[in-house]
Amino acid sequence: MTEIVSYARNLEEATQLVQVANVDAIICGEERFGLRSIGNVRFEEILKINHFLKLRSKKLYVLVNAIFHDERLKELKDYVDKLNDLPVDGIICGDPSIFTILQEKNIQIPIHWNPETLATNHETFKFWQDIGVTRAVLSNELSLEEIIDINQSLAIPIEVQVHGMTCIFQSKRKLVRNYYQKIDNDWNPEIVRYVKQAKTDHTHYPIFEDSNGTHIMSTEDVCMLRYLPQLLDNRINCLRIYNIFKTIDYNVQVSRVYKEAVEGYLADPNQFHQLIGGWEQQILSIQPAKRKLGTGFYFKEQIY
Amino acid sequence: MKKPELLAPAGDLEKLKFAIHYGADAVYIGGKQFGLRAKAGNFDYKDMKEGVDFANSYGSKVYVAANIIAHNDDLSGVEPFFEQLADIGVHAVIIADPSLIRVCQRVAPELEIHLSTQASVTNWRSVLFWKQQGIERVVLAREVSMKEIEKIKENVDVEIETFIHGAMCISYSGRCVLSNHMTDRDANRGGCAQSCRWKYDLFEDGKDDTNVSETNELAYTMSSKDLSMVEHIPELIENGVDSLKIEGRMKSIHYLATVVNVYRKIIDTYMKDPVHFSIDQEWIDEIWKAAQRSLTTAFYYKDPSEEDQLFGKPERIPKYNFSGLVLDYDHQTQLATIQQRNPFKIGDDVEFFGPDFYRFQQKITWMIDENGNSIDIAKHPMMKVRVKVDKPVSYFNMMRKQR
Repeated sequence: MTEIVSYARNLEEATQLVQVANVDAIICGEERFGLRSIGNVRFEEILKINHFLKLRSKKLYVLVNAIFHDERLKELKDYVDKLNDLPVDGIICGDPSIFTILQEKNIQIPIHWNPETLATNHETFKFWQDIGVTRAVLSNELSLEEIIDINQSLAIPIEVQVHGMTCIFQSKRKLVRNYYQKIDNDWNPEIVRYVKQAKTDHTHYPIFEDSNGTHIMSTEDVCMLRYLPQLLDNRINCLRIYNIFKTIDYNVQVSRVYKEAVEGYLADPNQFHQLIGGWEQQILSIQPAKRKLGTGFYFKEQIY
Repeated sequence: MKKPELLAPAGDLEKLKFAIHYGADAVYIGGKQFGLRAKAGNFDYKDMKEGVDFANSYGSKVYVAANIIAHNDDLSGVEPFFEQLADIGVHAVIIADPSLIRVCQRVAPELEIHLSTQASVTNWRSVLFWKQQGIERVVLAREVSMKEIEKIKENVDVEIETFIHGAMCISYSGRCVLSNHMTDRDANRGGCAQSCRWKYDLFEDGKDDTNVSETNELAYTMSSKDLSMVEHIPELIENGVDSLKIEGRMKSIHYLATVVNVYRKIIDTYMKDPVHFSIDQEWIDEIWKAAQRSLTTAFYYKDPSEEDQLFGKPERIPKYNFSGLVLDYDHQTQLATIQQRNPFKIGDDVEFFGPDFYRFQQKITWMIDENGNSIDIAKHPMMKVRVKVDKPVSYFNMMRKQR
């Protein structure tokens, strides 16, 4: 079954994503355990979101994909316990420490394996499949051809990002605060900053800091709307939308368009090409001018 | 108390020999495939064999880094590669990607597997997981603190390797694709363009008129000072770290010999008499002779601050040239035969150094070329000259000169 999965920052956004956009699943998370959630969604809120989604047969996946250091390991154990008790439909992980915790506690919870940049071929995901993960979340730096190959080799479903920013760098260091310290300026953590390679060019790499370190995001927003048929024809069924630093309204509207496009294509593939222009226009009309749309690495060659 | 292994990088066969001769217990090298230093010389199978033979003659070991994060197309050729390494007698492989770990375990079970720092292992549970997968040694992420190392060693009985010296990724290793996005070069397959060290402009709140970098006349950069644990080796030994790793397969022979020499000396001195051990200023001075950037202890004792990064103009560090390699020495005449590596001349103050921290200052007063003609300057690369020296030297000793 095809699944559109979107991030939510709170119950209100989750509600709209379900009621307006009709998405199939929601991702959220708390900063202490998950990476780059949109909003720091505490357990009490997760509880409410989970309850809301359960009643509507929608799924909830919680971010537990931090790169863990010792100080958070104990809490992680309790956190996983709590999520398992709800239960949620899956946890998104990328640090192998999780497997030793599940082993010790004899917990069976669906694991979506997302080590970001570190899983880029079918054999690697087969390894994780054998470890017991239930979904393969693919790196964003893969071509469509590679994605298709990986999908064909695995028994578990794969998930790819079809819309929004991607993370391109994570450091444990406080790289923004350190710079403000260096220039002796006050540092306001609330401000979203971005860097450019030179002040004249058109790049726009958002950069922000939280307790997981410093994160740099891509200069373009991926938009694979037009290419959904190629994904769906190849049975790439879990499609993720990630709209960090965007309004709830933007997120809901984009998610709605993707859901409509997917359903439209599955209902009548021939109609898709007539409708795609309209759908794209709906996204373009709310797309911030600074954020170009692109296709990421889906159609790109890399050298090394 | 276990004596840790001193592990050094070797970009090519010559560097391998120097590293081992200067005291490395083991070296890590790259093959022609599957390694992250596409631009280092690297080793074909013939060089690898020679390197392993050379290492064996010293009782040292050779590890091969196959630490790329592979894409589908990279997977062909992995099996014969590991089989070949096992045949050659390589002692271990350093791998980051589970796909390669699996193939290696299947086709070359006799090869020890070390999990690369690229996998960013930061806690004891992850270490435990990899141990359960049959990994013999885990190279920790550079973000792991001294306290966390202690914790890891307390909780898991597996070999631990940590970096003690060299350049550092400013990101979690492996979690950075700046290069992929800015240059289409795949960082995790050896194409890293070091985009983190470039200069950027920083803007606030999506507004182009808030160029913070321009206003403050300081480009935004994310460049780390280089790691040096020269003053803290005993603590790593006490915590039971099994292997102390020096970074830098791209570094020069001079760098390699100097750095290996210092850490060899520190480890040996401490192991011999831990109670009376103290840091000798000479060791620190020696490290600075090879330093290319300012130095830091990074994550070992605190969260790195702006003090641990490089901004603006680099700090001036006295630079030394590798002037010549000693090929031979005649005790009768006190003449050293030297192969020129950088120009030197009569009147130059140079320094000779060799393994076991052997060093002395020398003024060049007399020099002849291969035909016995007296010369003032050794200006041709690799030319052989004979130089009068005050103290005995031997093959593999090196001569350096301050620039």
